[in-house]
Amino acid sequence: MTATPALLEVEEVGTPAPAGGPPTSTRRILTTITKDKGALACVLFIVIVVLMAVAAPLITKLSGWGPYQFDSAAINSDLGGVPHGSLGGISGNHWFGVEPQNGRDLFARIVYGARVSITISLSATLLTGVLGVVLGMLAGFYRGWVDTVISRLMDFLMAFPALIFMIAILSSLPAGNRPVLLVVVISAFGWPYLARVIRGQTMTLANREFVEAARASGAKDVQVVFREILPNLRGSIIVMTTLAIPGYIGTEAGLSFLGVGVSPPTASWGQMISSSVSWYSVDPMFFVIPGTFLFLTVLSLTVLGDKIRSVVDQGEAA
Amino acid sequence: MKKSTMLVGLAASAALALSACSGNATGSSQASAGPGGPAADGGTVQVLANAAFSHLDPARGFDGGVNNFYRLIYRTLTTQGAAPGAEGTKIVPDLATTTGTPSDGGKTWTFTLKDKLFFETGAPITSADVKWGVSRAWDPELGIGSPYAKQIIAAPASYQGPYKSGDLSTIETPDAKTIVFHLKKPYADFGSVVAQNTFVPVPKGQGAGNSLDSKPIASGPYKISEYKPGATLKLVRNDKWDKSSDAVRAAKPDGFQWTFGLDPATIDERMIAGQGTDADAIAGTVQAATVARIQTPQLKQRTMSGLGGCTTYMGLNTTKKPLNDLKVRQAIEYAVNKQTVRDAVGGSTLADIATSIQPPTVAGRVDYDLYPSTDHKGDLDKARALLTEAGYQGGFTLTLDSRTQPKMQAMAVAIQQALEPLKITVKINPIDTSTYYEVIGTPSQQKDMAITGWCPDWPSGATFLPPLFDGRNITAKGNSNLSQLNDKGVNAKIDEIANLTDVTAANKAYGELDKQIMALAPVVPLLYEKVLMLVGSNIAGAYLHDGFSGGIDLVSVGLADAGK
Repeated sequence: MTATPALLEVEEVGTPAPAGGPPTSTRRILTTITKDKGALACVLFIVIVVLMAVAAPLITKLSGWGPYQFDSAAINSDLGGVPHGSLGGISGNHWFGVEPQNGRDLFARIVYGARVSITISLSATLLTGVLGVVLGMLAGFYRGWVDTVISRLMDFLMAFPALIFMIAILSSLPAGNRPVLLVVVISAFGWPYLARVIRGQTMTLANREFVEAARASGAKDVQVVFREILPNLRGSIIVMTTLAIPGYIGTEAGLSFLGVGVSPPTASWGQMISSSVSWYSVDPMFFVIPGTFLFLTVLSLTVLGDKIRSVVDQGEAA
Repeated sequence: MKKSTMLVGLAASAALALSACSGNATGSSQASAGPGGPAADGGTVQVLANAAFSHLDPARGFDGGVNNFYRLIYRTLTTQGAAPGAEGTKIVPDLATTTGTPSDGGKTWTFTLKDKLFFETGAPITSADVKWGVSRAWDPELGIGSPYAKQIIAAPASYQGPYKSGDLSTIETPDAKTIVFHLKKPYADFGSVVAQNTFVPVPKGQGAGNSLDSKPIASGPYKISEYKPGATLKLVRNDKWDKSSDAVRAAKPDGFQWTFGLDPATIDERMIAGQGTDADAIAGTVQAATVARIQTPQLKQRTMSGLGGCTTYMGLNTTKKPLNDLKVRQAIEYAVNKQTVRDAVGGSTLADIATSIQPPTVAGRVDYDLYPSTDHKGDLDKARALLTEAGYQGGFTLTLDSRTQPKMQAMAVAIQQALEPLKITVKINPIDTSTYYEVIGTPSQQKDMAITGWCPDWPSGATFLPPLFDGRNITAKGNSNLSQLNDKGVNAKIDEIANLTDVTAANKAYGELDKQIMALAPVVPLLYEKVLMLVGSNIAGAYLHDGFSGGIDLVSVGLADAGK
């Protein structure tokens, strides 16, 4: 989960300031991706995960087992609750096997876990996106004391040991609405990484001729910011947010792994991995299945984000 | 006693296969190599542990783990036997020559000390030292352990221990060998009470404040040579202890070495590997995930299992709606699927299903099931019928207090699932483990239900049913009557049994009272958790002791080959 800051910091350095040329068109991104097999596979997997999340109740109706339903018959009570059969109890009945000790269907829990991962990471991305873009543009456009205040706040948040603070704050907060708390805490520490890039780009854009022209023709600050500057930031925002989503998925899983994420019995990939740790030698599939899903989701989003970035960079360089 | 910690193992007569002769267990059925074989003199027994001891001060510590450990360094007037099964829970003389002589109709008890008793300092143990140790129990800061001395022995209401209030006139020491206790009212089983930790002798005038927690003054066969709280504890022989004065402690090894703070999974791996000094090691109950790995004949031979002597139960708060309705509580009794609860803690090797409040290790306990269902999987039809009768067929919401600990969470989820078909929504309220008992023991903070455990302080109903179900014991803080049951019939029966002078008859009556209480359904007995331990290949003389939550009796364990 520490990957969030590290990853984004690298991106920031790697994203060149726009030197000119037309803003990258969405269509060009799409055509490039559909031509790239790797990127297409990533999109396909992401679509599958999102579909799983959206249609979770329908899918589990089809598979026959709910995410919270116990199946005592699928586990061996005499051996500490190990699933019957090889590969963690994989069978026609339980497609991905069952959880040791209670026999809950792993397939159902993966499907519902996707819900948690996707909801939390998308909400956190949305919130950091709004915060990062608005505050970054404010700082870059107005400069002066506004910039000082926002920049110092960003420095403070980025220098803060975020992970330790997240664990501390989540474990001391009462058990309220966990997913909302997670989104708020993740976003509170996530927005400066986007805001810093936006601030820098806004600064250069604000001195460009078309902005001056807009001003000269009597446009107000708000119009300049939202009509002139924001459209030019689109490429960076798409790249930054696409790359942020896997980071937040990882953070959510990490916090759940550490026991401060969503509370049981809610299914979550991080929590599944956490409880599988003690079973690694007798039931490795319990670890492999949620681990694979988490890995592939994060990988797909990262690769996709990378592709988009290179398309955007090419566009800007052109 | 105390709430069981449930992390640590509990339980007992593993050594069913052992045909033990008193003192050291000898001759197990599996040749001499097993953990039950005879122990040799010498060597150091290693103990791998996750949690450190709560207190080394005998007036303060009070749970299955420290009670067992205290016997290595401390002696009491009487103590529990050192043998598997019922022999282990029999009270035998220790510092005293007998288990006590009652007079004045059981209101006054006299004990005479043996000869050749010494502290580790070389000073003789006198009746004045025993009295000093006992009177420490009244000190508000020190007396947080066993409550029995305070509850049973008469004392002025303002008495606050020897450091603050001075001499306690209700305990007399006419000479250096005789000690006389005056009780509030007759107590037939006082011979068991003086086996409690609070009856450890402390040299007169010493032990104020925290001093005994860091430097105990040993009266038993071992003394502390090195103690790093939370990390290690090393015991060496107390050469002032005279074996001829002690019929209970075999004390074969030359020392013990505890290592605390180890991860439970690490302990299991080390015990399975059994390399180096781990061959001389003992540890607590294995993790559920390890059960499947210790099924090989080699490891099975090193495995010990038995009942923990505690009951894990779910308290139903009878002051909350709709749990104040007997029918609703009975419906929950029927609905809970104890199979899934048992699987949540690790299946049949780690727990037996409970149907009565008292566990099988308690004398006089009757085996019965007032709320039967096929394979204990719950009888939803009966439960539904009862809820309909009570007018709650539409369902309701209950809050279940649970610890933020995987095993407790798993049990809570199992309860949640079991009640779901009745349209009872169970909300799990996770509470930090360190404050859990404080919260559920405060009636103003406790919610509808809570899962906890109880272990008897000595295996008699007297230490099980009255603390949990006497309605007059409900306190604003530190309350152990979780269901807040205050039933006239139960209270009257408790008084009636307390007045019985025959201990066997009293235990039998508690068995009947158990049934009477279950008819009111204030708690759902869930499990009798078991201990399942893996010991090192060089361990001998080991058996699980019924009196110490099923832990390996430390005063009997030793090494098969001390030279290794």
